[in-house]
Amino acid sequence: MYRRKRKILSGDNMKKIKKKDIGKLLSKWQADFTVFTPSRATGVARMEEWDGKDTDFLTWYRNTVIPPKNNILPNMEAMFRFQKDEAGYQLEPVTPEQKQIIFGIRPCDARALTIIDMVFKDTYEDRYYLTRRQNTVLVGLGCTNPYESCFCTSLGIHPAQSADVDLMLTDIGNELLIEEITDKGKELLGKSSGLTDASSNDEDSAKQSRETAYQKVTRKLDTTGIADKLQASFEDKDFWEKVAAKCITCGICTFLCPTCYCFDINDEISKGSGARFRNWDSCSFSLYTKMPAENPREEKWQRVRQKVCHKYEFYPRLFDTIACTGCGRCIRFCPVNWDITQTLESVPEHSAV
Amino acid sequence: MNDIESKLRTEARNLLEQGKVNAIIGFAPGSLKFTTTPLITGDKEDTDRLVINPFIANNLSVFLHEIEGPVGIVAKGCDARSIVSLIQDNQLAREDVFILGIPCPGVIDLRKVEKLVGRDRDEIDDITRDNDRVTVAVGGENKEFSITEVLRDDCLSCESPAPKEYDLLLGEDNVVVGDRELSRSHIRELESLPPAERWEFWKNEFSRCIRCYACRQVCPACFCERCFVEESEPQWISPLPRWQDNLVFQATRVIHVAGRCVDCGECERACPVNIPLRSLTGKMDEIVEELFGYKAGTDKDAPPLMTAYVPEEAEDFIR
Amino acid sequence: MAITDISNRKKFPANGNVYLPNIAVIEKIIEETADTRTFHFNFKDEKLREQFTFESGQFGEYSVFGVGEATFCISSSPTRRDHLECCVKRVGRVTNAMHRLGVGAEIGVRGPYGNSFPLDYLKGKNLVFVAGGIGLAPLRSLIWNVLDNRNDYGNIDIIYGARTPGDLCFTYDLDAWEKDSSVKMTTTIDREHEGWSGRVGFVPQVLEQAAPSAKNAAAIVCGPPVMIRFTFPVLEKLGFTPEQMITTLEKRMKCGIGKCGRCNIGDLYVCRDGPVFSFAQIKDFISSEY
Repeated sequence: MYRRKRKILSGDNMKKIKKKDIGKLLSKWQADFTVFTPSRATGVARMEEWDGKDTDFLTWYRNTVIPPKNNILPNMEAMFRFQKDEAGYQLEPVTPEQKQIIFGIRPCDARALTIIDMVFKDTYEDRYYLTRRQNTVLVGLGCTNPYESCFCTSLGIHPAQSADVDLMLTDIGNELLIEEITDKGKELLGKSSGLTDASSNDEDSAKQSRETAYQKVTRKLDTTGIADKLQASFEDKDFWEKVAAKCITCGICTFLCPTCYCFDINDEISKGSGARFRNWDSCSFSLYTKMPAENPREEKWQRVRQKVCHKYEFYPRLFDTIACTGCGRCIRFCPVNWDITQTLESVPEHSAV
Repeated sequence: MNDIESKLRTEARNLLEQGKVNAIIGFAPGSLKFTTTPLITGDKEDTDRLVINPFIANNLSVFLHEIEGPVGIVAKGCDARSIVSLIQDNQLAREDVFILGIPCPGVIDLRKVEKLVGRDRDEIDDITRDNDRVTVAVGGENKEFSITEVLRDDCLSCESPAPKEYDLLLGEDNVVVGDRELSRSHIRELESLPPAERWEFWKNEFSRCIRCYACRQVCPACFCERCFVEESEPQWISPLPRWQDNLVFQATRVIHVAGRCVDCGECERACPVNIPLRSLTGKMDEIVEELFGYKAGTDKDAPPLMTAYVPEEAEDFIR
Repeated sequence: MAITDISNRKKFPANGNVYLPNIAVIEKIIEETADTRTFHFNFKDEKLREQFTFESGQFGEYSVFGVGEATFCISSSPTRRDHLECCVKRVGRVTNAMHRLGVGAEIGVRGPYGNSFPLDYLKGKNLVFVAGGIGLAPLRSLIWNVLDNRNDYGNIDIIYGARTPGDLCFTYDLDAWEKDSSVKMTTTIDREHEGWSGRVGFVPQVLEQAAPSAKNAAAIVCGPPVMIRFTFPVLEKLGFTPEQMITTLEKRMKCGIGKCGRCNIGDLYVCRDGPVFSFAQIKDFISSEY
């Protein structure tokens, strides 16, 4: 049947799917992939393996508590196993093999992956992270209901648009508009069913939906010259002590942060064989930098300073991007409501170093 | 601004002006709806930001060990008992703390409100309390609830809402509209399960623990400079977030705070993955009361429970 | 003086996996002091044994499987390749486990990581080595490297100290350098000690008294953080510029390749942009981060 190709921004015919048909689409994908969707089944909202039927998440899902980075940089993963026999130690590396789809990842979390890709590729390639990353297809879902703690727009991220995913979905009421972003996404689309062509009305609705989401992000942060400001304030102990006063140095902000990637390495053994694991670690913990002779960040204010400066000064100097995507989890879940936007706004103007 | 608030601000300002304290620890409005945040300041102008409202959740005594010299601290009933417990443990000298006691009618549990109205807290327009009724304005409607439906569980079983140990009591001694049975209902539920099922329950809960240590960090009773999980020789438990290690960590922590835990509920509130920690600490408190007739933080001159040797203690377990 | 670019360094990851150690066997153990041992080891794999190269100043991540990994510099010189060496002080879980190993035991070795001492910059200069305690270990690799190419360098001054005579490491090297007429060797201990007839005084003070000339010179410093902090002002007084002062830093490390995040000083990672730094690079952070 002849179809006139319309010239749209993305260049191709856009597709759409009815929300009530999502289950069929996920089932089709499940044949070739492990599909992760937002779920509260374990007691906390995070990406879980799709149980084969629940699509209710479309009604309650705003964002997960545990960020999707957990599917690429898990909070615990075995790197290699070791065993000793007569010939000595035998090491067996663990290779992440699972092909997975993360369905419903938000633009802030998707950008976060693009940001931390840089450190895992730099100089020495981290096979574990990069293999999982390669094996993952990201199906993004634009926000319709940002939290009061969200501030993605201040970091150049749109709550409902993303170039960091493979397919981008926009909520247009009873249906979801689907945009191809990468070839990986195109390939996945080829393995889909239940899709129909989107009309120009649908694209207008999508535009509307995106704009509404953008306007709903009311929390703002001015990041102009923040790296230089932080550098000039590095030695301002009074400022940092005040900033850190109410922090209790738990690991919530860093563990729930989609751009935090620091890890620890630990061995575990059981009956003669064992494995080396890596697990999430946090610069907020005093053990993080502790040496036998001394600890350069013994005091709380030094660790809080490190966290803020790493995200807004050091990482930008290394990789040209702020290591924060404004997802707001740190603000939402901090037990003392320590707020990074308030801290950054109060960095004093010192004369340049 | 209510009466207690204005009194508090005046007193706090005076304390700083007269040099009676180096700093004031209290609550200021948070950056999110229905949230307060700890205010720690030596500047008397900051005292104008102090608030008292149904959302003053934190146990501020956790900050006391960090600040030198005399400190003025806003304390609810539970917080004051934490302070007494710290004094018993020699972590604090009584003369170094000026307790601004707040008779507390109970703190509202936002998770309960969210569940009742089916919306997240930032989608709610207002939450107001009038004695034992709470009105939640959401989505253009006003929904009413009894206070026992929305108070924190630990508040529901609170026996000393007003501090018994204080330097100044800002308000009248009061009673919380509580429901002890309701607050302990989860513990009773768990007790009724056979051990195998109870084990499955906790194994499941601790499978999602991410070892953020927020439970430990918010707890005033966890004042050890080096926590047992940070020891490497010997390594008591693995730093890896496996459910076995998570469970042992929490069980050990709860035992370590036996006799110090005042059931302020902060551990459960802080947990980002919703583990019902209070069911463990609450049960521990019950065991402590049953075995030793002891309640944490009620007598500052008493020796701490687990470090005192009382010759008359029961020895019937020695056969 | 620029940071040595490590992007073109030879990498030896087993199976292409940068976290997988290569198996090495301990061939000899020397008890340097009561709590410090030097391990001589070689890779089990023949090909790797031949191909492996490193430069003075680089470090490795050494595994005791089942216990963990720890960071030690490679203390042997790249000019002497019949075996590799590392020096381990017993301070924690992994180091204690290493001390319990005997000759023939297998360890894992990842590396070499980090940058190295800038030989191009040092060539033709007078070198002043200042070390304290086990801090001599990374410097030792450089000292033998330099001595094995003696004509490429000018005067060599070595000032080395420890708390007590029993804490002096590499006494066999100290003897050799004492006997070497092209080297001015000064060994000192912190305080008077029975049976010690040699120099007494803290390393920074002894350095000040020795007063080596800063003209066409470079100072290479390594030791406990407190010693380094007191040595830099002395060198400045003697006329050394921040670029002429070189040190190798120690931080808590895990991955060794600039990923786990913990060894940073500002936007520099000690494991990747260091551990060798000039004072010029780190002087802004030295008061509060190091």
